[in-house]
Amino acid sequence: MNLLTRKSLKRLFGTLAFFALAAVMTGGPGGFGVPAYTGVHASYLEPVSYFGLFRTQRWSIFLTLGILAWLIISLYQPHALTIRRRLEPVTALPNRVMQRRTNRWVLIGVVIVIALFLPKFVHEQFWMYLIVEQIGVWILLALGLNVVVGFAGLLDLGFAAFYAIGAYATAWFTGVLPTPAPFHHPIPTLWCIPIAVGLAMIFGILLGIPTLRLRGDYLAIVTLGFALIIDDFVGTQSGLTGGGEGSLTTPTFSMNVGFWHYHWGINPTPYYYLCFIFVVVFLIVFTSLEYSRVGRAWVAIREDEVAAQSIGINPLKYKVSAFAVGAASGGFGGVLTAGLIGNINPTLFQYQVSVNVLILVIFGGMGSIWGVAIGAIIVQFVTSYLDNYQPWGYQLNDLYMYIGALLIIMMIFRPAGILPSRRRQREISGYETEHEGHLDEVLAGDEP
Amino acid sequence: MGFAHFWLSGFDQIRSGFWAYVAVGLENGALYAMIAVGYTLVYGVLGLINFAHGEVFMCGGFAAVFLTHGILGAGVANGWESVGLVLSGIVFAGLISAVVATGVEQVAYRPLRRRHAPKLAYLISAIGASYFLQTIAGKEFGYGQNIFPAEVFPAGQTLFYIGKTPIHTIEVICLVVGIIMFLAADRIVRHTRLGRGIRAVAQDSETSSLMGVNIDRTITLTFIIGGSLAGAAGFLYALQNGIIQNSGTELGIYAFTAAVLGGIGNLRGAALGGMMIGLFGSFSVPFAFEGNISWTEIYTFLILVLVLIIRPTGILGEKSGRTA
Amino acid sequence: MKLRWNKTVAIASAGVLAMTAVPLIAGSAISGAASKPTYTIGVQGPLTGSDSDYGIYEYAGVEFAVSQANASGKYAFNLKVEKFDDQGSSTVAPGAAQKAAGTKGLVAIVGPSFSGPSEVSYKYYHAANIAEVSPSATAVALASGSDSSFFRTVADDSVQGSADASYLVTTKGEKSITVIGDESFYGTGLANVVATEASKLGATVTTKSIANVNEGGGGNAGAYSTLATSLAQADPDAIFYGGYAPELGLLLGDLASDGYTTATHVIMSGDGSNDPALMTSTSPATAANGAFLSESATGKVSYFTGKLASEFTALTKAKASVAIYAAQSYDAADAIIKALVADKKTSSIPKLRKETVASLHKVSFVGVTGPIAFQGDGDLKVDKGAVQISEVDNGVITLVTSVG
Repeated sequence: MNLLTRKSLKRLFGTLAFFALAAVMTGGPGGFGVPAYTGVHASYLEPVSYFGLFRTQRWSIFLTLGILAWLIISLYQPHALTIRRRLEPVTALPNRVMQRRTNRWVLIGVVIVIALFLPKFVHEQFWMYLIVEQIGVWILLALGLNVVVGFAGLLDLGFAAFYAIGAYATAWFTGVLPTPAPFHHPIPTLWCIPIAVGLAMIFGILLGIPTLRLRGDYLAIVTLGFALIIDDFVGTQSGLTGGGEGSLTTPTFSMNVGFWHYHWGINPTPYYYLCFIFVVVFLIVFTSLEYSRVGRAWVAIREDEVAAQSIGINPLKYKVSAFAVGAASGGFGGVLTAGLIGNINPTLFQYQVSVNVLILVIFGGMGSIWGVAIGAIIVQFVTSYLDNYQPWGYQLNDLYMYIGALLIIMMIFRPAGILPSRRRQREISGYETEHEGHLDEVLAGDEP
Repeated sequence: MGFAHFWLSGFDQIRSGFWAYVAVGLENGALYAMIAVGYTLVYGVLGLINFAHGEVFMCGGFAAVFLTHGILGAGVANGWESVGLVLSGIVFAGLISAVVATGVEQVAYRPLRRRHAPKLAYLISAIGASYFLQTIAGKEFGYGQNIFPAEVFPAGQTLFYIGKTPIHTIEVICLVVGIIMFLAADRIVRHTRLGRGIRAVAQDSETSSLMGVNIDRTITLTFIIGGSLAGAAGFLYALQNGIIQNSGTELGIYAFTAAVLGGIGNLRGAALGGMMIGLFGSFSVPFAFEGNISWTEIYTFLILVLVLIIRPTGILGEKSGRTA
Repeated sequence: MKLRWNKTVAIASAGVLAMTAVPLIAGSAISGAASKPTYTIGVQGPLTGSDSDYGIYEYAGVEFAVSQANASGKYAFNLKVEKFDDQGSSTVAPGAAQKAAGTKGLVAIVGPSFSGPSEVSYKYYHAANIAEVSPSATAVALASGSDSSFFRTVADDSVQGSADASYLVTTKGEKSITVIGDESFYGTGLANVVATEASKLGATVTTKSIANVNEGGGGNAGAYSTLATSLAQADPDAIFYGGYAPELGLLLGDLASDGYTTATHVIMSGDGSNDPALMTSTSPATAANGAFLSESATGKVSYFTGKLASEFTALTKAKASVAIYAAQSYDAADAIIKALVADKKTSSIPKLRKETVASLHKVSFVGVTGPIAFQGDGDLKVDKGAVQISEVDNGVITLVTSVG
């Protein structure tokens, strides 16, 4: 093993650059308002003592780590294939387990039982609240976007627009916006669900019909533009939508069926069960949709639009229907959020929200319903945990740095997500096995 | 106030302040055009939207902050000194942005290219890169603080008058620098060997690699050209407006709109589109309902959506390949 | 080989699960076995995000008050401070408020910093009988009802807004005024008060609004130069901006380069912009000179001065002259401490919370910023001269007069 080849030195450079970046990422924040020796300074120069053995600066630690990593990679590289083959039973384990039908059902059963009794184990009210607001609602959103992106293969960056439409429709129909409710007759929040979902769906169809003829990346931009228009619009119309302040008093859910009356108060547990029911319904509906005629038509269009057309599938019709289903679930999420948080304003529906939902879909595995649900649980739980406890010196503002890095790494090493749909996996493995990815290429670039 | 009156008063405002709106519009337009060049070049060569390009621009702005605060220090430059300052700023910011742009290409795009990833994967890893750059800039320079480069240059000084309208130094500089840099980029792409390489890869990457064009190097070059223009734009933008970690998102979307409007993949289209969006943005200010400036944004995005629906190939048409 | 790997993975994942689950299930605090009970004062505000200055300095103010109280040894209890981050957003606030309300040993909250979060957090705190003492939420609508558990150590926007309007119209004699709001709960509210009061006083008022740059990419800094151009064209006698310092800085720079300067016109803003950071966010900084800034304070001081300032800096490493609302937070924490002293006999936390709310209504003392006492609805009792009008003089915010 020669460590002084051109390729090896290039790898050294890449590794060191990576660790320099890691030092900046984990260092203290900088800026003009903060004392000197923070920011880039602190990333390298802050004195650190380890076990009192030696006093040093951070840079020497990261330099050492970098060189160590380089040595390990250099040692690993010649044996990469053998090691990977040995590890295959472990890496393929989740997929293998999930492929057995009985295992799948057992897992689903366990998840449902845990989910049913979860409020018994979580004693902190705000965690219950976070579980509903950060996890439950987002599972619904991710499942909805999954139909558009995962099933039909349409990149929708304007998902937040439909989320906003749902939420603002709720606020409008319950009469908490500056504009009076339609016919001056406010209705309960629960009744807003069909109305808001319908409105979002109509908007989805109206936007979809002209734009879905466009190519993939143009579609992404048009939807993004649409979301920005909606966000700006609700943010500026202070006389109509409350402007930047939105509505601070969206009513919560309440149910009144003659003999039985129930009001969702400030305790989040009833919301949890409400949300749980909706998640289960969504899962069942989308699973059956996946294997229906429509679901298969979506996949056919995603795979090869021309071929699909030749066997009599009308691509526009099915694309619009996928878009409408996605929009409807966005609107649904909007109603739920408005009722749960009790206030809405435009910051809830920014461009980042669309991307964040997309991240959940990609992380879990595009097109895989269970993958998306589990991915949403993992990502949302980890981010909520990091935000609330800040373990290991994690800094609050840094979340999106790690998410950004995670996205890049996922796209390089596991573009199909943590729990890929079986159909999707077969397609992607087509290109993955040809050019199997390893860290070395990323660090050293490629040889010309 | 009636609806008709609202529009009429808008036209009145434009008539009385015509040249002021033109000056602001051209200044912003030049900036948009400079950023749009990067979108258009990358689209021509790789056939994908470089979502992280707005952040490349933002890095140029922070490079300006770093240069003036960290290297040059205070003291207002005048006369030839200020010319030197602007030139050094453009070179420095362009350099930093070019480095960032190539870095993005190396880390977020190249590994995917080697794995023949689907288009969606590029877009997502670009979003990842843009999140990453934004947050790390916020972390290093103060999150959510709009900061200005040190006052080394009288950007807001009045240079001359058109009628009664004062025209400021920064407006003239933006326009001049924009035109010069655009002409340079246009010349590189059209008339040099490297530019031929870019056009060849844009047309057919496999064949051109068989003909001896080094694809990796060509792609790196496009990122360098696009990055340095965006960096220069970042420097000029920061001189007047200051810079904040999310400046890139907003300006990036504007510039992308410009590129699409002119016909993405078409270098001259990007310049035309940039100028149009800039002028459009400033002329729509008097027509903002309730005096709310966000309406200019709504108008601009409406244009984007309409253009894409009616004429997805833009005004000058997509020409990826023939003229890059 | 295979078996060992499986085991390692299993152990590792079990470890991760355990680490994450422990704080989830077991709850947070284990109180010490000291002879004195330890009570927690929470601070809710934007500790992260673009407005984090407010939350961080307010936290510093409370920390300062608490450390002084603990060091004095006068009290029959120990105090500690805990942070609850709402990012300044009303949609994040419910989570933060529930987290605070569920914290064991927490007796009262200093904050929330902003009006929107204060409004939506109220129902959670009210249900748990926790007093909210905000050092900086000024929206008029917040204080209402007689059994309020909401208090604030600043005067509300109606006091400030009408003082600003009368200063512009009556004192300065301006006829046409353009009022600009920044689309935030605070900025729009203040702008609306100024606009209505000024037109009541006979001025011609035009309203405009422009999105905040800092609010998560909502606004575009480039839009300020186009707004400035149109403002310079319309040429009103005076401009009032309801919003925060960074955006006012942008606007001042752009207005100055369009020939609309403070030398010939009056440009004024409220307490959101009354922040030394205005100078660093204006380019050129000379453009800020001559701008009028108002602030509601009860006395003459809104920052720590003298000995307090140096002690504050020694403890929190923050410069006292830029620590916005740290003094008001100090007073808020002091009010809570004084209320706690009044009901030292009770030991159970729920009871204590209830009594703290009751005693806060009766608290009356002279704080750093002036006399602190609350009206029935939780608003600060304000005397004459509650609003200070300052002018930027060569980069320094200098007091001109007290009105209101």
